[in-house]
Amino acid sequence: MGFTFTEIMPAWPEIFLACAAMGLLVLGVFMKTGAARSISWLSVLALVATGILEIVVVPDGGRVHIFNQLFVADVFTTFVKCLILGASAVGIIMSLGYNDREDIARFEFPILILLATLGMMMMVSAADLISLYVGLELQSLSLYVIAAFRRDSVKSSEAGLKYFVLGALASGMLLYGSSMIYGFSGSTNFLQLAKVLDADASAGIIVGLVFVMVGLAFKISAFPFHMWTPDVYEGAPTPVTAFFAAAPKMAAMALFISVLVGPFGNLVAQWQQVLVLIAIGSMLLGGFAAITQSNIKRLLAYSSIGNMGYALIGLSAGTKDGYSAVLIYMSIYLVMTVGAFAVVLCMRREGRMVEEVKDLAGLSKTQPAMAALMALFMFSMAGIPPLAGFFGKFYVFLAAIEAKLYILAIIGVLASVVAAYYYLRIVMTMYFTEPVEDLDRNVGPELSTIQAIAGAFVLFFILFAEPVVQMTNQAIASLTSG
Amino acid sequence: MYVAAVFLPLLGAIIAGLFGRAIGDRASQLVTCGLMAVSAVFGCVIFYVVALQGLDKPLIIPVFEWISVGDLKVNWSLQFDTLSAVMVFVVTVVSCLIHIYSIGYMHHDPGIPRFFAYLSLFTFSMLMLVTADNIVQMFFGWEGVGVCSYLLIGFWHHRESANAASIKAFVVNRVGDFGFALGIFGLFAMFGSVEFVNLLADGAGAEALKKTYQIAGYSIAGQDALNIVCILLFVGAMGKSAQLLLHTWLPDAMEGPTPVSALIHAATMVTAGVFMVTRMSPLFEYAPIALAVVTVVGASTALFAATIGLVQTDIKRVIAYSTCSQLGYMFFAIGVSAYPAAIFHLMTHAFFKALLFLGAGSVIHGMSDEQDMRKMGGIWRKMKVTYTMMWIGSLALAGIGIPLTIIGFAGFFSKDTIIESAFAAHTGWGEYAFWLGIVAAFMTAFYSWRLLFMTFHGKTRASSDTFSHVHESPPIMLIPLMGLALGAIFAGALMVDLFVGDKFKEFWGGAIFILETNKALEHAHHVPMWVKFSAIAVGVGGITVAVFYYLLIPSLPALTARVFRPLYVFFLNKWYFDELFNFLFVRPAFMFGRFFWKKGDVATIDGLGPDGIAATALRSSRLVAALQTGFVYHYAFSIMIGAVALISLYLLGVMR
Amino acid sequence: MEALLKEYLPILIFIGVAVGLTLALTIASFIVAKQKPYSEKLSAYECGFEAFDDARGQFDVRFYLVAILFIIFDLEVAFLFPWAITLGDTQLFGFWSMVIFLGILTIGFIYEWKKGALEWE
Repeated sequence: MGFTFTEIMPAWPEIFLACAAMGLLVLGVFMKTGAARSISWLSVLALVATGILEIVVVPDGGRVHIFNQLFVADVFTTFVKCLILGASAVGIIMSLGYNDREDIARFEFPILILLATLGMMMMVSAADLISLYVGLELQSLSLYVIAAFRRDSVKSSEAGLKYFVLGALASGMLLYGSSMIYGFSGSTNFLQLAKVLDADASAGIIVGLVFVMVGLAFKISAFPFHMWTPDVYEGAPTPVTAFFAAAPKMAAMALFISVLVGPFGNLVAQWQQVLVLIAIGSMLLGGFAAITQSNIKRLLAYSSIGNMGYALIGLSAGTKDGYSAVLIYMSIYLVMTVGAFAVVLCMRREGRMVEEVKDLAGLSKTQPAMAALMALFMFSMAGIPPLAGFFGKFYVFLAAIEAKLYILAIIGVLASVVAAYYYLRIVMTMYFTEPVEDLDRNVGPELSTIQAIAGAFVLFFILFAEPVVQMTNQAIASLTSG
Repeated sequence: MYVAAVFLPLLGAIIAGLFGRAIGDRASQLVTCGLMAVSAVFGCVIFYVVALQGLDKPLIIPVFEWISVGDLKVNWSLQFDTLSAVMVFVVTVVSCLIHIYSIGYMHHDPGIPRFFAYLSLFTFSMLMLVTADNIVQMFFGWEGVGVCSYLLIGFWHHRESANAASIKAFVVNRVGDFGFALGIFGLFAMFGSVEFVNLLADGAGAEALKKTYQIAGYSIAGQDALNIVCILLFVGAMGKSAQLLLHTWLPDAMEGPTPVSALIHAATMVTAGVFMVTRMSPLFEYAPIALAVVTVVGASTALFAATIGLVQTDIKRVIAYSTCSQLGYMFFAIGVSAYPAAIFHLMTHAFFKALLFLGAGSVIHGMSDEQDMRKMGGIWRKMKVTYTMMWIGSLALAGIGIPLTIIGFAGFFSKDTIIESAFAAHTGWGEYAFWLGIVAAFMTAFYSWRLLFMTFHGKTRASSDTFSHVHESPPIMLIPLMGLALGAIFAGALMVDLFVGDKFKEFWGGAIFILETNKALEHAHHVPMWVKFSAIAVGVGGITVAVFYYLLIPSLPALTARVFRPLYVFFLNKWYFDELFNFLFVRPAFMFGRFFWKKGDVATIDGLGPDGIAATALRSSRLVAALQTGFVYHYAFSIMIGAVALISLYLLGVMR
Repeated sequence: MEALLKEYLPILIFIGVAVGLTLALTIASFIVAKQKPYSEKLSAYECGFEAFDDARGQFDVRFYLVAILFIIFDLEVAFLFPWAITLGDTQLFGFWSMVIFLGILTIGFIYEWKKGALEWE
């Protein structure tokens, strides 16, 4: 037993991030004033450094298992982790101004995000049900805390508590499923499981698998395990919501892929059916429920439920193209969501946050640039070519059709028509209604920059779609190489 | 020159239409009238070169290739032979005079550039129609004049009646055009070509008779096919030329400005049907049934329209029904194979009917836009020139002249020729047409003088205010009247020998084809004396009766109306055709429309479609939102239910 | 499927016995015993007097804090025992693993100390 430092090279980023988080914690607690801002920027720095490290240590092709096959690294994990790190960094940056203004600026906030990110990285790299659970819990516990971070607000506390209780339930189900799988197969290791399990697995394995899927579906807030999403999104502080909608979704979806494709790859026929149901439910619910929402954070919550449904279409296709489509979809979704929330974070009137869709009225006249960017994000989410969102939908539908899941694809298209209604309603509110009251203008350079970058990505994705697709294909190839 | 004559009006229309607002009213008038005048000069030259000097074969000037689809190849080219030269001459000259007249008539209208643009565009379309070298191009011109007619009838678009009239004209014409289009399809099916060169070639009709056609699974003998196609073409002509059943739009078209009535709804466009049938004479000659139909419809229209003209009180409507009636004459001339007579009457009619309309316009202008003859009278001293012009027009219309000489007004020669041809046809249908023509001629004379007397003579019935303002029209309106009057007086006497004289075949060349066996026109010169005098006799008779009725014993009209009340009301209501059509077509159409709108579209398609789906979406959205209770145990419950449901589906084997 | 359910048969029997027995005893007490309720018999019987206030008493949240902090170190000790016993087998790797673990805990300890969580007032 025992590892040399070079042996565990693929885990360097995680180790570095853990050390950075702890170091910053100690640093922060010893700093007198202005800790929050400096720790935040240092955290961003740490995330960026981790990302660079991640790219440095990525194994070229193939998969590398370390720590007694508890941890795995390959192109897929690197790709996903880089996205997660980026989303987390953006999440911290977006929270800066907000936390200052709302008087909840504490240095623990970025630390918690660092820890959550660490958890996500662990999840993505998990090669064992136990390391999976540890990563998942590290992530979840951090998220529960930041959901309730504005602890003097009833709504925020309620959101945190709801998330905690339901998250605990979901974790319990995941654990229960894991234990069943262990009981029926004798192993928790993904490699072992992949070897042991074949197409006609016993009922116990399948029940266990369904429970594991329930736990994961909860994390990506897919139907019918989505109920917490609108409440938590609405209650949590807006930058937290923005973070929730981005990084954890990416991580959970990546975990979903790696679990289903890795250990349970031979049970495609079984989990495909579950996924189809979940996907259809999520898309329809995301489409219909959002129609009557007036709170923009709730609306975006339903939108994210719907988006997860579309991403699951690719996964339920059960093909490499499908998985690749999921990665593309999630990458695009990440950017669009971050951009949209960056706009929502700018919705302040006389220093106070406003969250209703109607507060956007007449934005095109008062702040044309921001209105144009928001319209861009909305059109993209509605899947209007040639914006990025169109390509995301295009690839998942393509994968579904190639896998002969015609009904799924048709329902997906119909649901996206329904969804287009409320995306366009936001655009309509911004462009065709008279402004009631002006929104505050000093949005801060960070948010404008994030909006602009996201807008550029959405607008010009068509130009670099090919390299992105190649990258995701490469990632999936390394994931499925065994 | 040939091309310029046709396309100059288009140029004028484009300039006035697109840049009218930029260049102003005056410039628009000058440009359109100037270009039109040049075109008219060219038209006269073309008439001289092509018709009077004569060409060996039709002159065809290709402009460009238009359609090329499979077997269907259509070029855009201009064809000039005697027939089109006559038409070009009539159209350009009359149109030019009316353009000039309009400067005076429309001087206070706000939409002058638009008016002149439409007028020029119409002229271009009409020229396109008459110079077409294939039937598709002709159809283009045909539809073009239809559109312009629609635009001009509805020129005063703020008037509801004008809009209704323009729609009516358009819709009724659609019915005819449908027949025409079917006829074109039929021709293409039979001959595989739409070029006149092929369709109207020597013996093409005779060839067609011998074949049997397979159309849509039916085999049709050549004779039947030709009859059907010719009748379909004639249906098109009926629409455009306002023949019985499809005539209802013409009187309503008088909602347009008077120059429009003169140009389009009297002199040129309405004669397009006559022209078209004449153009297709090489086919009609081989379709005896179609010719019989043409005769009967034409003769019936001649009488029918005349009867209505007897009782109308609107000065323009009287002339409109008269036009309808005269078109009937032209058609029954065609029906008895006297095509030259039809075209001859077309030309003379163009002059005197335009004269009458413009004269009426002058009266209306002088009477402060009053059109009702019951509110006129006694104004002849105040507008002597117009009065004289109207006399000339009426004399021409009634066909007054001295038989066996070449003294007479234009209408005398042409109408007499037609009536004599009908007699000389020596067929049942010819006989029918002859007698109806005679009766109609009597009525024509009667209502013409009724119009004259009611308008100009007697004690005035106008309000003293209006009467005191009655004034002669300005020279710019009177000079075109005089130009037309010259035509109305001399056109007949000058042209009679050429058009329908003994050597008419040389004049027309290959433009008109008449079977050797159909000799109505040749025989028309040798009819019994009483026939030759009958027309003029009834004409003079009609005038005499009118003198008694409206000059000497003014109480007679009312008495007659009372005694023959049913007949009077019947005529006054235009034989109830409008009501009949309203009942038969318009109301059912509205009913269908309303049914499809309310039940079909709103209730079914919208209800189940967009609206229904939207409502369902909203309802399901509310439902889902209601599920979001906010209680954490409900949420936990949903997670449990979800998990249990998925597992149950597995274990129950639904998923496999 | 059948085999799976068969394994649960003893539990089913056990549940059946438990339910049956309790039902039998409850019903039997109704049938056999003499039922004669009166107010004294039905009144609260706890040290002879009615309860003064709500049984759910509030006490300071700092107790929780201390309890939670205690649990962490309690667990630490719980880990240390097996570690100490097996140190001979796990050798240096085991030693350093525990050092890292303790180091992380120490960081947490520094944080809570610095934050003042250990001070009662």
